Amino acid sequence: MSSVTLTQIKKSFGSVDVMNNIDLSIEKGEFCVFVGPSGCGKSTLLRLIAGLELVTSGKIVIGDRDVTHAEPSARGIAMVFQSYALYPHLTVRENIGFGLSLAKRPKAEIKAKVEAAAEALQLGHLLDRKPKALSGGQRQRVAIGRAIVRNPAVFLFDEPLSNLDAALRTQMRMELTDLHRKLGATMIYVTHDQVEAMTMADKIVVLNGGRIEQVGTPMELYNKPASPFVAGFIGSPKMNLIEGSAAEALGCKVYGIRPEHLCLSTTEGQWEANVRHIERLGAETILHLDTVVIGPLIARVAGEEVPPVGTKIFASAIEGREFRF
Amino acid sequence: MRKPKSAYPYWFVLPGAVIFTVLFLAPTVASFWFAFTRWDLYSAQFIGLDNFVQFFKEPFLVQGLWNTLIYAFLTSGTKSIFGLLLAVLLTSGIWAQGFLRTVVFFPVLVSTIGIGITFAALMHPTKGLINVGLDQIGIAGPGWLTSASLALYSIAFVDLWKGVGLATLIYIAGLSAISPDYYEAARIDGATRLQQFWRVTVPLVRPATVTVLTLSLIGGLRSFDLIWAMTKGGPGFSSDVLASVVYKQYQSGFYGLSTAGNVILFVLIAIIIVPMTYLFSRREVHQ
Repeated sequence: MSSVTLTQIKKSFGSVDVMNNIDLSIEKGEFCVFVGPSGCGKSTLLRLIAGLELVTSGKIVIGDRDVTHAEPSARGIAMVFQSYALYPHLTVRENIGFGLSLAKRPKAEIKAKVEAAAEALQLGHLLDRKPKALSGGQRQRVAIGRAIVRNPAVFLFDEPLSNLDAALRTQMRMELTDLHRKLGATMIYVTHDQVEAMTMADKIVVLNGGRIEQVGTPMELYNKPASPFVAGFIGSPKMNLIEGSAAEALGCKVYGIRPEHLCLSTTEGQWEANVRHIERLGAETILHLDTVVIGPLIARVAGEEVPPVGTKIFASAIEGREFRF
Repeated sequence: MRKPKSAYPYWFVLPGAVIFTVLFLAPTVASFWFAFTRWDLYSAQFIGLDNFVQFFKEPFLVQGLWNTLIYAFLTSGTKSIFGLLLAVLLTSGIWAQGFLRTVVFFPVLVSTIGIGITFAALMHPTKGLINVGLDQIGIAGPGWLTSASLALYSIAFVDLWKGVGLATLIYIAGLSAISPDYYEAARIDGATRLQQFWRVTVPLVRPATVTVLTLSLIGGLRSFDLIWAMTKGGPGFSSDVLASVVYKQYQSGFYGLSTAGNVILFVLIAIIIVPMTYLFSRREVHQ
């Protein structure tokens, strides 16, 4: 395992700058997640680290080696693709051992490494199958197995769970976190799903428009977002962000309050509101409120006992939980 | 209780079935029948396997059969190899890629007879541009179409030139369907360009290879017009193939014998293509 340091990374496609002055340090053994909306540059940044794209300027150091201009295979990285990139004409065994056979390693070594990786990923009984005979989760594991046998300094994951259904995604999140714990490897993971970022990361890098908005632990980003963008991106349902004269009246340009940090009362409170819509999720309920003073609000309350649609209620922010930008 | 089957849906099949029967099925069955007869276009006398026995007894007819196989495998193999190499080149982002694709495809659009006549002139032993050019650099060019040992291969070369554009086009479509992720994964695993070609491109482009091989093998086995335009099967019978032999037999009035040649060609195509298609489709790669 190795650390990864990016210094003043810039990437342009023609006259379009897609990454600007990226400085980032990822520690040895850290699980770092790049998160952001589509087109924010997170996959491009991963591909720059992988060497699949070359930087326009700046420096990439993996461990103590400057790999800015090194070939992908010489960077000591392994990558798991969104599509898995499993060769359909090869068996699971051949897919996992593909890199080793390219390097012309002895057959006995390839066999031992492939079987060890397969054992660790519970793929032992599937080694002679072709990818088309595997489920989505099994394919995912084969792709991870192919990365593991290379014994890389850094693992790179490009939205690896986005093709899986919700239940399998939750299971694979746990498996990946377990794998990280077991291998202790440096992992860089790209996703647009803030839940994946929050649940898996040691460190989250929030990207927006080709630049880093904020770097921090999941709870740092949740509790101390540096900008309205981060505040709105981290957390589900997203934070209520109020702008304009309503925010100015509250002493800021943008006022933020998370749905779970609103108190509701039928008798008194900060803002008078009308219940417009109710989303019952079982253990909790999401209320969509219309207020006269600050516009629409979303509130998250526990349980099922909620006022019906059309009821007049009062909403108040929990003290110390408000954000003013 | 199940309702009795209605005849109603079959009315929709009838027009197609009539057309297929009249235009395809009946002539095929008739040609099989006439292959077993002595036939003068007005009357036919059943003679059993005599036409086939005679066909395989005639050395020039057997040579035509061998030539057909050599020509078909040579042209389909080379079209497949060069088509793939050209497709790789023309998808690599080289300069003027679109223009070059058009250039490669252009011969496909030109009349085969026109190409045959043009190349026959170019390959003329004394006045042809090829030998005149070779002469300029001190090389005595062979008789491309007048040498019995070269004629068939010279025609095969022209067929390759004419047909490689279509193979290239099919391969370009096949290559475009391969996800770039496979190449990127291979690069990360340390694959060289050559390894990427052999271990990613060649296996993943297999569906295109099956199409190219099948089309060009069938085309090669029933090839006639280019050969007729360039050598008429000569010198002697050295570049005769089944189709030209059949044509010559028709011209000579041996209708039964030539129909037997057609049946042999039909069986030959079936014997080669059916197992090949079965084998390739079983192994076909699904991405």
